[in-house]
Amino acid sequence: MGTLILFNLFNGLILGAFYVLAALGLSMILNLTNVINFAHGNFIALGGYLAFVLIPFVGFWPALVLAPLLTAVIGFVIEKTMIYRIYGRDPIYSLLLTFGLAFMIEDACRYIWGVNGLPLTTPASLSTPLSSEFFFVNAYRLFIVGIVFVAVAGLFAFLRFTRMGMRIRAGIFDLETVSALGINVKLLRSLNFAFGIFLAGLAGVLAGGQIGLNPNMGDTLLLPSFVAIIVGGMGSLVGTLLGGLLIGVAAAITSVFYAPASDVVIYVIMAIVLLVRPRGLLGEEGMQ
Amino acid sequence: MSMLEARNVSKHFGSLVAVREVSLTVAKGELRAIIGPNGAGKTTFFNLITGFFPPTAGEILFDGEPVARLTAAERVKRGMGRTFQITEVFPQLTVHENVRIAAEAAAGYGLRLWLGSAASKIVAGTVEEMIEVTGLTAKTERVVGELAHGDQRAAEIAMALALRPRLLLLDEPTAGMGEQETYEITGLIRRLHRDKSYTIILVEHDMRVVFHLADRISVLEQGALLADGTPAEIAADPAVQAAYLGKAA
Amino acid sequence: MSALTRRTALPLPRELRWLRLAAVWVVLIAAPLWMPLVGGYTDLAARIVVFGLAAMSLNFLMGFTGQVSFGHAAYFGLGVYGAGFVLLYFTHSTPLALIAGILLGGVSGAIIGALISRQRGIYFALVTIAFQEVFYYIAYKWDSVTGGYDGLRGFQRAPIHFGLFTLDIQRNDILFYYFVLSVFAIVAGAMGLILRSPLGRTFLALRENERRARFLGVPADRYIWLSFTISAFCIAAAGALNALLNNFSDPSSLDVTISGELVVMAVLGGIHSFWGPLLGAAVFVVVQNYLSGITINWLFFVGLIFVVVVMFFPRGLLGVFRQRRAA
Repeated sequence: MGTLILFNLFNGLILGAFYVLAALGLSMILNLTNVINFAHGNFIALGGYLAFVLIPFVGFWPALVLAPLLTAVIGFVIEKTMIYRIYGRDPIYSLLLTFGLAFMIEDACRYIWGVNGLPLTTPASLSTPLSSEFFFVNAYRLFIVGIVFVAVAGLFAFLRFTRMGMRIRAGIFDLETVSALGINVKLLRSLNFAFGIFLAGLAGVLAGGQIGLNPNMGDTLLLPSFVAIIVGGMGSLVGTLLGGLLIGVAAAITSVFYAPASDVVIYVIMAIVLLVRPRGLLGEEGMQ
Repeated sequence: MSMLEARNVSKHFGSLVAVREVSLTVAKGELRAIIGPNGAGKTTFFNLITGFFPPTAGEILFDGEPVARLTAAERVKRGMGRTFQITEVFPQLTVHENVRIAAEAAAGYGLRLWLGSAASKIVAGTVEEMIEVTGLTAKTERVVGELAHGDQRAAEIAMALALRPRLLLLDEPTAGMGEQETYEITGLIRRLHRDKSYTIILVEHDMRVVFHLADRISVLEQGALLADGTPAEIAADPAVQAAYLGKAA
Repeated sequence: MSALTRRTALPLPRELRWLRLAAVWVVLIAAPLWMPLVGGYTDLAARIVVFGLAAMSLNFLMGFTGQVSFGHAAYFGLGVYGAGFVLLYFTHSTPLALIAGILLGGVSGAIIGALISRQRGIYFALVTIAFQEVFYYIAYKWDSVTGGYDGLRGFQRAPIHFGLFTLDIQRNDILFYYFVLSVFAIVAGAMGLILRSPLGRTFLALRENERRARFLGVPADRYIWLSFTISAFCIAAAGALNALLNNFSDPSSLDVTISGELVVMAVLGGIHSFWGPLLGAAVFVVVQNYLSGITINWLFFVGLIFVVVVMFFPRGLLGVFRQRRAA
């Protein structure tokens, strides 16, 4: 029983890591610009596919950085040409726009890379289990947790210690004042968006190595990302982090005791949070 | 029995103390002006009275009843009507529709699917009366969002009046207005006070308006009550002069 | 209806309003006559009316109360399943199927609405999406009851017996169209009546300026819940009709794609207009029908429609028309 729980706890950690990575990108974009990026799941898939294209040329490790970067560039361009138009408008428009983009990107991936799944080759060094007792802890899965940890730590360090990061944090709080201080808010938003997409692309590469690539792969991460944000608290990145970990672990633990409920438990948690503390665990009051 | 009594009311935003143990009493039928330099906490105090947010400490008594724990909507039902510094109206609807919604809400018809002819007449009567009092009869079918600033303010006052409030709270009613508009709004408030006996609390920056209208003046500075008295007393108070009335009225 | 739906444009004079209402109904009633002439067919007309009703129901909340829901397909889909359950498992009765669908969707909407009525803006939209996906997931996974991916199949809409005569909506497509139109008339009529009432004006107040509404004594959360619930009941009716139209119930009716399509229809037609969403539905259904016939990548083009609407038609087709009139 002990090993079983440990096994599932570890799985929960991995799952939570993915949720966190996907949700943080989504959260960054939502917090600064009030846009729900419906296409986030598709950027995740795009990241994985771009890694697929790059790996034969540059190998896995460079691709791990280049693919998300390339995805971020695409995101940057999309933000500069399309998304900027709907800032400040009614939320309907951002939803519709990113929704439409989601369709377009998904179908484009389908068209370019086909409907069937594709494998993403990871270095052999990462696939070996570390010990026979803890067979489930293979290096790749540890690697995922490690990379996510590095990415998240990097993100928070960036926000805390760099000038750009401070501007983004200030912008989340009060974009109008930031603009009045003479800071180029357009660029800020574009870069922030690109950052969020970078995280999405990274999630795609990691997920691709774990479960393979297909045009819908981002969908399974998109909704839990929403839940992570709702549970963790709207407007709070730390909240999103906690929310993602919480629901990942909750889903995994539940699968030990009552397997069919493990998919539903995250929504139960969401419903409870909405009832008891509508702003989320770490949400700002009045964010609603 | 006073209309409104604030007892040691405070509001903290984290470590920022916006309102610091303010106590004051407004009698029925009185017109009280609240003045003070920018950042003195006037609008925050207003927000506390009207229920925009709850006080951190202290008690608020409206006609003897404690209301500090009630929501804004509940306080409106008890008889408070309020206007805002930045006019809050229904911009895409006409003046008539704006005031009608207020009248229907006040009469408790907000949930109704249909009004009988008696109820309809009462509502229509209230609407017509309030539009007339605020001088908007000629503009009753105009879309509020398209009206001049002063008329929008008047429409907002008409909406507040349609609630038939016992206490009217006006937050900087002359803000952003030219001479003529200020004159008209001041006249309106004066009529409401003298002819209709409304109890009014006014936040104002324009000293001519304040001294023209107020029965009593309360001065706030840095969240605390600095002075409280008749216009003559306030004008003569050296502390007030030092803090605020640098220029003569 | 027009008095409540103006933008900052000139109001339509009374006579023109009646003319417009009459025109809409003439077009709808005569559809089986003119549809074949433009290459359409009665089935398509029924589909337009069903989705038009769905879009109008969504717009009751969106355009007239000011809250964006991107998860309304949930209550539409529950209407589809409610009707399907009755026809497949209980009895061959169309009225019962309709009622079951309306109740299932409406009551669910009431419950979910209560959970989310404290949210606003983009966060409100977010939670509507989350809950909709929950229902989709249930329909997909609980296959013993819902038939899983394939859904409920093997039933047909039942002829309606009125004692002395029978409406064979099962075999007669044109008769079915008029049945759909009748239900549409009742539900849309109810919505229209509500919007003209004091209650409707309160919803409008919430759309225009929630803060002002609260400071007029309106308990905003409660009213938003009410609007959400009413729109859920209405959209469930559309869903039930959809089940009758298709003769099956499947998870695709609960897909977030449908939610998005309904929003696009409303925006395309004009969210501040009562009939706008019907127009939007007509355009969208026809275009989608055409696209899926000529290309396998029609999803891409549907997405493109969304993007184009947002970038170039934010006020909807009717909105463009209104701007010109005011100028």
